[in-house]
Amino acid sequence: MITLAENRHPPGGLPPLQTLARGHNGLVTTVLIVDDHTAFRRRARRMLEADGFEVVGEAEDGASGVDAVRRLEPDVVLLDLQLPDTTGFAVAEQIGGEASVVITSTRDSADFGALARRAGARGFVSKAELSGPALEALLS
Amino acid sequence: MTRSPIDLRGHYRALLSASLDCVVAMDHRGCVTEWNPAAVRTFGYSEADALGRDMAELIVPRGLRERHREGVARYLSGGDPVVLDRRVEIVAMRRDGSEFPCELTITRIGNDNDPMFVGYIRDITERHATEAELRASRARIVTAADDARRRLERDLHDGAQQHLVGLALTLRLARRKVADDSEAAELLDEAIEDLAVATAELRELARGLHPAVLTEGGLEPALGGLAKRATVPVTIEHAPAERLPATVEITAYFIVAEALTNVARYAEASRAYVRVQRAGDTLVVEVRDDGRGGATMGAGSGLRGLLDRVSALGGSLTVVSPEGEGTVLRAELPCGS
Repeated sequence: MITLAENRHPPGGLPPLQTLARGHNGLVTTVLIVDDHTAFRRRARRMLEADGFEVVGEAEDGASGVDAVRRLEPDVVLLDLQLPDTTGFAVAEQIGGEASVVITSTRDSADFGALARRAGARGFVSKAELSGPALEALLS
Repeated sequence: MTRSPIDLRGHYRALLSASLDCVVAMDHRGCVTEWNPAAVRTFGYSEADALGRDMAELIVPRGLRERHREGVARYLSGGDPVVLDRRVEIVAMRRDGSEFPCELTITRIGNDNDPMFVGYIRDITERHATEAELRASRARIVTAADDARRRLERDLHDGAQQHLVGLALTLRLARRKVADDSEAAELLDEAIEDLAVATAELRELARGLHPAVLTEGGLEPALGGLAKRATVPVTIEHAPAERLPATVEITAYFIVAEALTNVARYAEASRAYVRVQRAGDTLVVEVRDDGRGGATMGAGSGLRGLLDRVSALGGSLTVVSPEGEGTVLRAELPCGS
């Protein structure tokens, strides 16, 4: 079965089917990365794609992030805490129920986990610990 | 050597004239009987203007006059003196109606039937202004230091920490591409482990400079984070959900952080309790433990440094720590209206 998400992939860029992260509907889990650091976006994309997620887009600030959520309708938004125009918490509140939000930062999850959940996010993952399984643990 | 009554009078007048403080006297009816040159300069009434006038009307601000008269009447009818022979700070009024802070002592002379009261009054406007400027200046120094630390934390976060995080992700990706039993895997695992330690240390340093969670979420999540990281179990009994001035939040945070560090290091406690609660214009910060007590705010201790910060904000910091009965550290910080 070919899913819509898989169709968006360029040929050859797709990990083996059995390693794809799948949401509750059996489709590949799609991710939008919102972070103003280009280097982090690039590495987060590689890490998540290696773990079977499909990264459908990137945004570098809160406003374009919210816009991309509406346009691309990702399953998950990996959202940096500190953005040039706003905070990740404010963006999470704006996104509301349109996607599952996971907030990320170089900072400590002991500090930010509760705040992230209060803003409507599924949780917080420290950037250094980002991986597919870490994201899945927060989504399940 | 004895002086004649005329000499005495001259001697007395010379003392009054030379005095830098206002010396004013009134009889038991409240009428002015003495008005020295300093009083002329301070209040704007000449001696001739003042003598015989009702003292209350001349120099007591309208709003305080009734209390002043009641106080005199109560004393003259046998009540205990409230302001006699001790220093009090009050507000006085000049001829043009302007009011100013002054310090005052009043002493009683004369016999029982004809008592007189002599007041020594010093204008302390300048002292008050100097004290206020000193307080403001100390508070500005604290704020400037906080701002500098906040900037440093931000620089670390945007610079070194981002690079290290990127490196961590790259190393983990690389590690997946090499066989588990290879030498490269061993080296990469070592590098990943070292990097995790370095990242954690840098994060600790950044948080010590300025806890970013305070800026983002205020005291409630920041204290929650402290409690989670503490090595002794901590109960947060109360934390303010509202936002307070940044300097107050950071001071309260550092007090709790230092107190919990001390509990872990010295108290041999089984549990600590944190209560940070606003009471009117004051934020009360309290950290208790059930440890061995005997703590002091000695020189060189972290608490001593915090005491300077707390006093710069016009607050207070106390430690009660009887041997064997645990420790209570309590701070009161003015936090505006």
